[in-house]
Amino acid sequence: MDVKSEVLTMMTGRENLYNLLCRIYKKEVDQKLLDNMKDMVFPTDGMNPELTEGYRLLQEYFETTGENAEEDLAVDFAKVFLSAGASQGMAAFPYESVYTSRKRIILQEAWEQVSNIYATKGLALEDVPPDFMEDHIACELEYMAYLCREAKQTRNLLKNLQDQQEFLEQHLLKWGPSFCEDVYNYSDTVFYKAVAKITSGFLKLDQEILDSLRESAENILESRRSCFVSNDRMDAVFEQLKEKYVIYAPKRFKGGGMKHANLIRYAKIESIREIEMDEQSDFSPKEAYYPVSQTMLYFTEEEVLESAVKDERDILVFARPCDINGMNRLDTIFLNNGGKEDLYYKRLRKKVKIAMLECLTGWEDCFCVSMGTNKTNNYSLAVRFEEDGLLVEIKDKDLASYFLEEEDREFTPEFIAENEKKVRIPEITNRETLRKASELKFWEQFDERCIGCGGCNTVCGTCSCFDTVDIIYKEGSQEGERKRVWSSCMLENFTETAGGSRARKTNGANMRFKVLHKFYDYHARFGGEEQMCVGCGRCDMRCPQDISFYDTVNGLCDELDKMKEDTAKEVRE
Amino acid sequence: MENIMMPEPHRILKIIKETKAEFTFRVQCDAETRHGQFFQLSIPKVGEAPISVSGKGEDFVEFTIRKVGKLTDGIFGLRPGDMLFMRGPYGNAFPVERFENKDLVVITGGTGMAPVKTLLNHFYDHPEICKSVYHIAGFKDIDCVLFNEEREKFKGRFQTICTLDNSEADGYERGMVTEHIRKIPFESFEDYNVVIVGPPVMMHFAAKECMANGVDEAKIWVSFERKMSCAVGKCGHCKINETYVCLEGPVFNYTKAKELFD
Repeated sequence: MDVKSEVLTMMTGRENLYNLLCRIYKKEVDQKLLDNMKDMVFPTDGMNPELTEGYRLLQEYFETTGENAEEDLAVDFAKVFLSAGASQGMAAFPYESVYTSRKRIILQEAWEQVSNIYATKGLALEDVPPDFMEDHIACELEYMAYLCREAKQTRNLLKNLQDQQEFLEQHLLKWGPSFCEDVYNYSDTVFYKAVAKITSGFLKLDQEILDSLRESAENILESRRSCFVSNDRMDAVFEQLKEKYVIYAPKRFKGGGMKHANLIRYAKIESIREIEMDEQSDFSPKEAYYPVSQTMLYFTEEEVLESAVKDERDILVFARPCDINGMNRLDTIFLNNGGKEDLYYKRLRKKVKIAMLECLTGWEDCFCVSMGTNKTNNYSLAVRFEEDGLLVEIKDKDLASYFLEEEDREFTPEFIAENEKKVRIPEITNRETLRKASELKFWEQFDERCIGCGGCNTVCGTCSCFDTVDIIYKEGSQEGERKRVWSSCMLENFTETAGGSRARKTNGANMRFKVLHKFYDYHARFGGEEQMCVGCGRCDMRCPQDISFYDTVNGLCDELDKMKEDTAKEVRE
Repeated sequence: MENIMMPEPHRILKIIKETKAEFTFRVQCDAETRHGQFFQLSIPKVGEAPISVSGKGEDFVEFTIRKVGKLTDGIFGLRPGDMLFMRGPYGNAFPVERFENKDLVVITGGTGMAPVKTLLNHFYDHPEICKSVYHIAGFKDIDCVLFNEEREKFKGRFQTICTLDNSEADGYERGMVTEHIRKIPFESFEDYNVVIVGPPVMMHFAAKECMANGVDEAKIWVSFERKMSCAVGKCGHCKINETYVCLEGPVFNYTKAKELFD
């Protein structure tokens, strides 16, 4: 695969030709340009009949041209393009608007369109003749030259090729050929007749060239690839990615932690070096697409207005396999449960692409292997951190274009096969056992031990519960906004109704609710192989009372075993 | 993309004072609702809460709201002509077709009468499709008594008992609803259904008492009141075991309801 050099060669050749044509149409040719062109070698066979004919005419021109070339050409230029002298309307006005508008006048829709296109690239007219406008043939040709230059530097080649194709097809090819026909017909000199043939032929040929370039780029991008990327190069990739993606990864913040001096949570990052790999993050990645607090709508006394997503960019999240599996649990609640999708979740979630952080050792509190969440193939990129850079596996076409220049190196991510901690899945197979499991005295130990702070829910990657809260901007007014904020089933008012009654009244009851939700209810409702818990162990790490969720689940299993034994004993007796 | 959380403004037509603490809000709305369903009402300065439809007409629905706790306070600042933001209706409903041409017993505790009032009115307006209706309405005391006018009207076609938990008043029985259940001649019914709506404890003991009087649990229907921030299966507040009250409820047959425990 040497797409790079193929692209470089093609782009340089095309850029040169576009620049040359641009120059010819921009103003009268001078002797210097003519001398240069005389020395150029043009291919004369194959390719495109118009182009071949154009080159042949050019050769003919240089072989036959006399003393007054420059002056003759200037007269012809004025006649053909500026409608000077005896042209009597028999001219080729070099503006797209003239060729594409019904009234054949300037400054029409096409002019507006191309002006907008240049503006999105931050381009504006500079140093041009006074009659110049954005849809002048020279301008449009120069823009193609600009895109060729951009192609040599961009990390998103596919997007660039798409831009080139679109511009060529929706603009230059829409009017170029008929404009060239006019140039050919109205010009007196063989030079401009040659230029007309070359331009028309080249534009048509270029469409084929772009098609094949795009095809080969897509072929390369479609196949899975892996490569080595140094930290510096990765940061350069980030620099490019940032235009299209907000990048989230676990990041260390000084202070603010609970049991650790520092807090590690998911946040926007600018550099690969900001990713915290030495310790587990205190929080899950869910806040990247399910923020702690988000505005749902704005209201006045009479109307409601849906909030909008401010950042148009997509989201790239660096996450470990357990957390990637956690996303699937949130998807189930927000996109499937109740048969309707939640707009606020969906509009962020659909932007998310995942960069999987390879996780081979886990942490002290993890039990992902017991939960079957140690593996995943749901990712666009996978990365392994090495001494001086990263190994990257790329499975996503769009992201692949950012890594075209990186050196191929075989890498297939691996997954942790065993944790120190192993959790048993409580065996609850019928309603009777569920009732008994709920009524166990076992839960009462948490009435006092648990303080109902909800920290466990906050750090959990699969906790989805929320409250809605209305905020009024000014006392006495009805204008404000509705926010959605994370909630927690461990808070004492989680089930409190308007009348003040609470369905669950003790911390022990809340603990039981949470454990059975994560290890029974979710599975009972949605089926499949999965429990809601993904075994990341963050709740254990977070609990200020050192209550271990892991111990609680295994403790419940022991209780269920005891129950079974007792029943068996009773039956024997 | 459809936004299932988007409320719409509805004009308040009338506010009716039921008791010192309870008010009925009549709101312009022509949505089709079934008996027992609820709406998510936007309570100014607070947020959303599920409120049962307590009455309906061709172009309005009514909600009876108790002025207790911070949650519903904000709504009492609204006046007729103001807008109330709401979305719905949500939830399942009482299986009215199954109640038809049979005897029906309705036992309500306090504001629990609100969610069944349209059901009672339905059979009041169509006496031809039901055999008999028995209604036991329990209230805490005389100050808490709701829907006087309609209860008076029901006396004309239904067998009614109105009881005060712990006090006496003219025209009212005394005692919990459970104490009056034995007065229902269940054994004389060929086929019948029992609807019980009220606070969780009341529903629990009323159902027990019915069963003690020979009622098969499959004939009993209850409706749950739960906290809900979304009513569409996302916020998690109303979940009991693997059941979401907003999606599968709020009306449950007792065979299912007895298995749901918090």
